[in-house]
Amino acid sequence: MNREEHRSDIESFYHLSGEDVGRKACQGMACFVARHLKPERWNEATSQCPKVYCLGKCYIAPSAGFDDERPRVEVHSRSPIVLERIAKGVARSLDSYRRGGGYEALESALARPPEEIVRELELSGLRGRGGAGFSTGKKWRSVFTERSAEKYVVGNADEGDPGAYIDRFIIEDDPHALIEGMAIAAYAVGARKGYVYLRAEYPDARAVLEEAIIEARREGFLGERVRRTDFDFDVEVVVGQGSYVCGEETALLNSIEARRPEVRARPPYPTSEGLFGKPTLVNNVETLASVVWIARKGGVAYSALGSATSKGTKVVSLNSLFHRPGLYEIEFGVTVRHIVEELGGGLKSGRIKGLIIGGPLAGVIPPELFDTPFGFDELHAIGASVGHGGVVAFDEYTPIAELMHHVFEFGAWESCGECTPCRLGSRYIEQTFRKVLENGRTALKDRSELDEVVKALAMTSLCGHGSGLAEFARSVSRYYGKELQSCFA
Amino acid sequence: MLRVTINGGTREFDEGISILDALRQISVEVPTLCYDKRLTPYGGCRLCIVHVAGVVRPVTACNTELADGMVIETHTAEIEELRRTLLRLLARQYPAAAVSRFPEKEFHRYLRNYAIEGDCLGAQDAELLDEAHPYIHVDMSRCVYCYRCVRICDEVQGQFVWQVWNRGDQTRIKPDSGTTLRESSCVSCGACVDACPSGALEDKSILARGLPTAWTKTTCPYCGTGCEMEVGVREGRIVSVKPAMDAPVNRGHLCVKGRYAFDFVQAADRITEPMIREAGHWRPVSWEEAIAFTAGELKRILDRSGPDSIGVLGSARATNEENYLTQKFARVAIGTNNVDCCARVCHAPTAAAMKLMLGTGAATNSFHDIERARTILVCGSNTTENHPIVGARIKQAKLAGANLIVIDPRRIELSHYADVHLQPHPGTNIPLFNAIAQVIVEEGLLDQGFAVGRVAELDEFRQFVEQWTPERAEALCGVRADLIREAARLYATAKPGMCFHGLGMTEHTQGTESVMSLVNLALLTGNIGKPGSGINPLRGQNNVQGSAHMGCEPSNLTGFVAIEDGRSLFESVWHAPVPGSKGLNLMSMMDAAEGGRLKALFAIGYDIFLTNANANATRRALTSVELMVVQDMFMNETAREFGTVFFPAASSFEKRGTFMNAERRVQMVRRAIDPVGQSKPDWEIICMLARAMGKGEFFDYTSPDDIWNEIRKVWKAGSGISYSRLEDAGLQWPCPSEDHPGTQVLHSEAFPIGKKAALRRIDYKPTTEAISEEFPFLLTTGRTLYQFNAGTMTMRTENVALRSTDTLDMSPQDAEHLGLSGGEMVRVRSHWGERVLPIRISTAVTTGELFATFHDQSVFLNYVTSAHGDGYVGSPEYKVTAVCVEQA
Repeated sequence: MNREEHRSDIESFYHLSGEDVGRKACQGMACFVARHLKPERWNEATSQCPKVYCLGKCYIAPSAGFDDERPRVEVHSRSPIVLERIAKGVARSLDSYRRGGGYEALESALARPPEEIVRELELSGLRGRGGAGFSTGKKWRSVFTERSAEKYVVGNADEGDPGAYIDRFIIEDDPHALIEGMAIAAYAVGARKGYVYLRAEYPDARAVLEEAIIEARREGFLGERVRRTDFDFDVEVVVGQGSYVCGEETALLNSIEARRPEVRARPPYPTSEGLFGKPTLVNNVETLASVVWIARKGGVAYSALGSATSKGTKVVSLNSLFHRPGLYEIEFGVTVRHIVEELGGGLKSGRIKGLIIGGPLAGVIPPELFDTPFGFDELHAIGASVGHGGVVAFDEYTPIAELMHHVFEFGAWESCGECTPCRLGSRYIEQTFRKVLENGRTALKDRSELDEVVKALAMTSLCGHGSGLAEFARSVSRYYGKELQSCFA
Repeated sequence: MLRVTINGGTREFDEGISILDALRQISVEVPTLCYDKRLTPYGGCRLCIVHVAGVVRPVTACNTELADGMVIETHTAEIEELRRTLLRLLARQYPAAAVSRFPEKEFHRYLRNYAIEGDCLGAQDAELLDEAHPYIHVDMSRCVYCYRCVRICDEVQGQFVWQVWNRGDQTRIKPDSGTTLRESSCVSCGACVDACPSGALEDKSILARGLPTAWTKTTCPYCGTGCEMEVGVREGRIVSVKPAMDAPVNRGHLCVKGRYAFDFVQAADRITEPMIREAGHWRPVSWEEAIAFTAGELKRILDRSGPDSIGVLGSARATNEENYLTQKFARVAIGTNNVDCCARVCHAPTAAAMKLMLGTGAATNSFHDIERARTILVCGSNTTENHPIVGARIKQAKLAGANLIVIDPRRIELSHYADVHLQPHPGTNIPLFNAIAQVIVEEGLLDQGFAVGRVAELDEFRQFVEQWTPERAEALCGVRADLIREAARLYATAKPGMCFHGLGMTEHTQGTESVMSLVNLALLTGNIGKPGSGINPLRGQNNVQGSAHMGCEPSNLTGFVAIEDGRSLFESVWHAPVPGSKGLNLMSMMDAAEGGRLKALFAIGYDIFLTNANANATRRALTSVELMVVQDMFMNETAREFGTVFFPAASSFEKRGTFMNAERRVQMVRRAIDPVGQSKPDWEIICMLARAMGKGEFFDYTSPDDIWNEIRKVWKAGSGISYSRLEDAGLQWPCPSEDHPGTQVLHSEAFPIGKKAALRRIDYKPTTEAISEEFPFLLTTGRTLYQFNAGTMTMRTENVALRSTDTLDMSPQDAEHLGLSGGEMVRVRSHWGERVLPIRISTAVTTGELFATFHDQSVFLNYVTSAHGDGYVGSPEYKVTAVCVEQA
């Protein structure tokens, strides 16, 4: 009856239990669109078992676990919020972190009433960096308001969107920023225990983070009576076992609880009934790293950055097809074209055919829309999304049928199986394009069935996995309609 | 109230319901596969989507709360198209053959409604077929992934058998064995089968015999929980039993016995003709001959030896009406108070103790209170096996946050869920309860307010209990003093606290006093007279509460009224005298028979030879009887060895009447099939016999309805319970008038004996059954999930495949010490007798203690049990026998 014991049925959900990703080649989306750069590496990736989708090395894609080159890291905002230390070099140790003013934000926060910190977050206008873009201040306020002796803060480090490697480098190169952000969050909302849910594909990040936690405990930034105040807080790292949907916050909480990581129905929201049924604040890594700056400089200062409805900065990660792949911290409001051309320097492999921002669960952006400003609402308006901030460009080497097949193979493989449209619909679409790839085309009537299934996926999926896949399919139909139609005859 | 517009019409609904609830209330049907009203809404199949104005995407009706002002459309072209697409995705995986064969399945109905039966392109996968279970056919090729099987096993049965493996379209549902359902931890309750909308899980009986053509709602013939069920019949045969969805006790759930063990009804060896034994051989005869012969013999004995030389035993399996007639037959047709029933060997101590202390010899509360209790104390009851539906509800209550205290020498299933498990040595309940009382008093945990207004003799009790320190109890019961304190604090402070007890409390030489010492705890803590509290005996048989309550009791008449208190009323209704002589109970009937004073015995539905303790004594008694009349469905051991006449009785599936469950609820028994062969309902046989004895004027009934209406005249607390009310739902007595709603909680304001109930000062008198060099083990007997009492019914079903025989359960340490291994045949011997049975190594029993069941007539364990009985009511001490064990 103990539901937390080791259970093979639950482990069977995951595909990386006990696997060493260090020797695996990646078949994430950035590797897929760059497959012509190293065909052998790509062949290796697609023939190995289990599959690995995105090791967070998109800047040298197609990549493998043993590639250890660092990406270019640049700050292009008036104030560096997240990448300051990383751009200057690695700040892994507590000493180097503190030399740059690390943990001062926590110390000053501990001297203020918790509600003031919540207020700063509200003033900042910060929206979650994990994909949904929900107001961080509102989330904090909800957890703060809950009357419960037990609350939790969870750092969502399950950066699964292929193409994103932002959180990976925050953890690997600046781990104390995450720890400090969590401690500030915990103090503000009244939690005493934190978890970082870290994806299995980031083994180096795990080692760094665990070392940093030990350091932080040693110096009294974690543990009982943090910095000799009455505030107790500690952090535990939970490592995923290979599952994309665990990045969704309720699936993630189930995974920490050793339950089958299906999405929970909402309400109740995690802010009232989250981990182990207690009020829980789940924030993404980049969000928590931004918290440190906001706690130090104030919410108003933060809200002066960025655009009207998308405040502050965002780190974007560019894939290997760009001339200058890497991590760029930008202010919201610059155009997509600016990212592609000014920062990325355009593609080195050929003409750009489209852009996939924030992973495959959102719409493709065709070149004719590159003048769209980079912001939550602006991208949403064209069916795209900020998502995690991964920016994957693809060139004319990639036919639409292959792209659809790749995305739906990924989508079907990662579907949890709880709801009918996603469990069967994503596979149905993958199979349709498999037929196209095998035979050059498929029957005309399959097109209307495809549209029906995409519609069901869009309208009836239980969570964003299915509806996001549908968004992708619809944008392909919208912007690459002619090429798509040529698959059916 | 919420005002909501649905499909153009505006309606009002209560708050706090889902959209789907609202739709169902006004009979708007939307398809659902994963919805089941017994379960937490899941929202996985997505078929119940509806359009809500102002919301972009459709919402699932099952898990969206209805809100004021909602404008809902349920069948727009777009919504219907989406449903069709989802169903087609499912159809593509689904084998076509099943759809036409089982058209009534929910999923098949939807395929038909959306005209996509032709889209079924799936194939049967042999890998997904599992035919090993005796009752449940598993074919996961037909799974539609609604997960209802998984969820009902978790949320209702609490067994967690079905598991979800893998993810996405590779998701598969498997039993926890990883292999077959039969090898899993499944308890065969069938809930998953009932929940399955496609037939991936199906009753084998339906596959073999076809779908039922008629359903009849009735009450389960097994334990005293009183589950209601629907009996499915085809061509005069029972082909399936399903739980009644609206039943208050079982709420759409049954256990393996009620759900599957019905084939005894059509067993090949069922006796369907009256028989008379001549020169040792049974001869089938006509009813006329059997009745005339028996009446003649009874009259001969009456004339020669008087009415008190005859005894009558009622049946806990028969209806209230039939038990009423049984005692009336004894008192009016024979003229004796020698009438008893099997309550004598189970809860007579409970009835006596509770009647004495509280004024009513029945459960104070209801199963409805399980979910209202903050602490549940279970003592001497292996609830999950013997009252599985109650056990499942207790498990769910625990999983939902209630506290659980288990008092049982064995590590029973509930003990694994318990906050505190106390394991007293068998026969040491009284020191344990006295010590719990001592802690409550000593630590000031008693309910002062309740004590002042409702409890008498507190000061005397305080003084008495002072000496019963947990340390003193520890020395006697072997339970650590700190655990006793922990249990006492939990029960006394996390209130309300509700007690359930079973035969582990009563089948002792101090059985009645054990119950009294438990009642003391409820009085001290005020855990009585309130929802979620009380003292609640779990009655063993479907109508054991009813059979004693109807008057199959030597010293009490119908309604558990002492003879002298009821005499005038009964004589005026009966127009016949109530006998004045003191009646014999079952145990004294056996003594009288052995002493030659009891000449004839009429046993209805009761295998006394197999089930009485100390079978050698029963044998001597029954050998001495001149006339042994057996009324049963089968040639039971009493009939086989001693029977003179055999009257074939109808089962409860074949007649009408009422049962009374353990929580005082009277429920209808309805006829689903005709009596098999020439068998007749017990009441008809009794009336025939009475008429043949010239007492027809007192037994002039044409239906159970007539009998029930007479019962309502003599039993005030039941007079408001009419058949027409029972047709709607069962009623709990007291229910003194037709406008009375029945009583869920007794003693709310006062006790029938007055405002206050007195605490009892119970000294511990150890049983003389104690271990010795010759008999180094203490044997406890009891039942198991798959078999029921004498095995008369369950042993004639496929339950035998799930548990074939009685076993002697022994701890691994003892087995190793004796060099015995599991399955080996051993001889278990006591001062009273010996038997041979296979051993089963079990970590549930403590070293030095043994446990065995008594279902199997070929084992006949009661040759080993003792002659000791309870000091008040004589119930045998089944729970403690000193024995030795050797290789057979």
